[in-house]
Amino acid sequence: MFSEDLKKNIKDSLFTGLIALALFFPIVGLRTEIQKEGLYIDPQWGLTALLVILCTVGRFLINLNISRKRKIIFVSDFTSNLSKFFSGKGKQFAITGILFATVFPFLPFTDRYILDIGIMVLTYIMLGWGLNIVVGLAGLLDLGYVAFYAVGAYSFALISTTFGMSFWACLPLAGIFAAFFGILLGFPVLRLRGDYLAIVTLGFGEIVRIILINWYDLTNGPDGISGIPRPTFFGLEFTNNPKEGTEAFHTFFNLEFSSIHKMIFLYYVILVLALVTNYFTLRIRRLPVGRAWEALRENEIACKSLGVNPTNTKLTAFAIGAMFGGFAGSFFATKQGFISPESFTFIESAIIVAIVVLGGMGSQTGVVLAAVFLIGFTEVFRELEQFRMIAFGLAMVLIMLFKPKGILANRQPTITLHGTKK
Amino acid sequence: MNEKLLSVKNLTMKFGGLTAIDNLTFEANQNEITSIIGPNGAGKTTVFNCLTGFYKPTVGEMLLRKEDKTILLNKFTDFKIAQQAKVARTFQNIRLFPAMSVLENLLVAQHNELMKASGYSIFGLLNLKRYKDKEQQAVEKSKYWLDIIGLTARADDNAGDLPYGDQRKLEIIRAMCIDPKLLCLDEPAAGLNPRESAELNKLLKLIKSEKKIGILLIEHDMSVVMGISDHVVVLNYGKKIFEGTPEATTKNKEVIEAYLGIEE
Repeated sequence: MFSEDLKKNIKDSLFTGLIALALFFPIVGLRTEIQKEGLYIDPQWGLTALLVILCTVGRFLINLNISRKRKIIFVSDFTSNLSKFFSGKGKQFAITGILFATVFPFLPFTDRYILDIGIMVLTYIMLGWGLNIVVGLAGLLDLGYVAFYAVGAYSFALISTTFGMSFWACLPLAGIFAAFFGILLGFPVLRLRGDYLAIVTLGFGEIVRIILINWYDLTNGPDGISGIPRPTFFGLEFTNNPKEGTEAFHTFFNLEFSSIHKMIFLYYVILVLALVTNYFTLRIRRLPVGRAWEALRENEIACKSLGVNPTNTKLTAFAIGAMFGGFAGSFFATKQGFISPESFTFIESAIIVAIVVLGGMGSQTGVVLAAVFLIGFTEVFRELEQFRMIAFGLAMVLIMLFKPKGILANRQPTITLHGTKK
Repeated sequence: MNEKLLSVKNLTMKFGGLTAIDNLTFEANQNEITSIIGPNGAGKTTVFNCLTGFYKPTVGEMLLRKEDKTILLNKFTDFKIAQQAKVARTFQNIRLFPAMSVLENLLVAQHNELMKASGYSIFGLLNLKRYKDKEQQAVEKSKYWLDIIGLTARADDNAGDLPYGDQRKLEIIRAMCIDPKLLCLDEPAAGLNPRESAELNKLLKLIKSEKKIGILLIEHDMSVVMGISDHVVVLNYGKKIFEGTPEATTKNKEVIEAYLGIEE
């Protein structure tokens, strides 16, 4: 009655349904609710059944497609078209992107919440670009990048609260501190590559966080540091009631006081910082040190045989990557006004690495797309509450399935003999 | 008679209880190709690894004439051999930078000069003319070598996309881009077809006659060894069993027994 294929398909789909049941029953089906008497379980039979049926039917349809020798190619088609579209159009994309980013705060749909997301996305874009130097160019998988973010944030917070220095004076110092920590991490891991390097850097990230928690005298431990000064617009504060003898931003420009001014200003600060990071990376990639980073990623032994000093090359990559992490960290501190070790957990490192890897290692445009995708979409899915992370995971799985090398994996040579190819 | 370039004296390399090279002494002259031949495991590549700083020899001296001075290669470790002593090498299994373009491969070889010109990246970041001129020079030099091996048209392609024979040649000219005094080639003809090895012979002869350098060659392909060598050193079990001209080598009884084999 049934063909052999169909029988197999049904069997396979039912098996998938079984696995889905085993997974979703404990995760989704058993929801705990707090009542006066304590916790009790609120079983979600309907939702579980829906998910299981969805998986079973989905699997059945996918199998049906495969048996008809029709591959699901639209996603990979879409992304490869995307790559094609962006290759050689880097400049156009960059200009459109920058223009859009510049007018973004004044667009009609931009409210406080969307602007906040914009700032967050830009922070991650900057972190992604910073990490791209270490992971994408130098090929050193750094899972502890958040440590430099933390060092930047804490050095800014401590210097500004202790010595009363302003954001703009502290920013370079925070970068230098973070770069120093980059070198500190770089030295012991010079000989390590791949998995081993990843584990050590992961450990480093955790060490920094644990020191921040436990060094109570300096960092105020888990209570964090509050009262971090906000950035000023050439000395003009964004506040309704400025200190004696100073003027506030809104009175100086004869504007009605609005807290959105500060947000817009913060937005432009991070936009400029991110663009500086990008410009710096694009330039240094074309310099000997940038080429040496990429060569080191490709083949370390060959580098040595050509007289390239691998120690210095790696350390500069770590230091410069860390420096940008530090800049982003001080921005984070000044934006929040309060920092605690809780903001610098491993998940942050993981998200930044995910942005770099999903974007396509070494691709600057890819980082932007991935950051918008990962950070922006998790915000869009905020209404899904706890299933947000499932959506996040699903997105990552899909990208890795259809684009294992990242969304944009085209590498442009840093110098050409015959000009750019069309 | 050509000037003496390299002299290796009493070189011994031990790995634990294994003696890979045993009291090896030989010399190599400038503008000559010195071949090191011998059966597998005779210690040929180990000699190269000692010369190019990858291993530190247990005993022995390696002296290189550079300009009017004689320098002791043992002093240089790791990347400094290429950077300061100007000894370049290629590898038995090709080690290019596959995801980088052909031209970029050649520019990485000129890293140290360019690095200086870019003021350790500071002038380069500011896009000063001084660096741009130097970079242009480096590109010209790369183009010179690419013209020689006929790969100019593919300069902007990824090195990993080149055919095998071209990759071999590219690795050799990449080594030449560091302006070496001594070039060590580890089996450059391995995996090449007869036409490609003939081209390789031509390239090596050209380097030998036009550049003031010495070439050390490890090779199993006897047509290459006999065709272009000026001097042959034969190793067996880490010991030198013969040294002389290619003609004399083919006639030596011990060499035939150990390596070349007897023609029926």
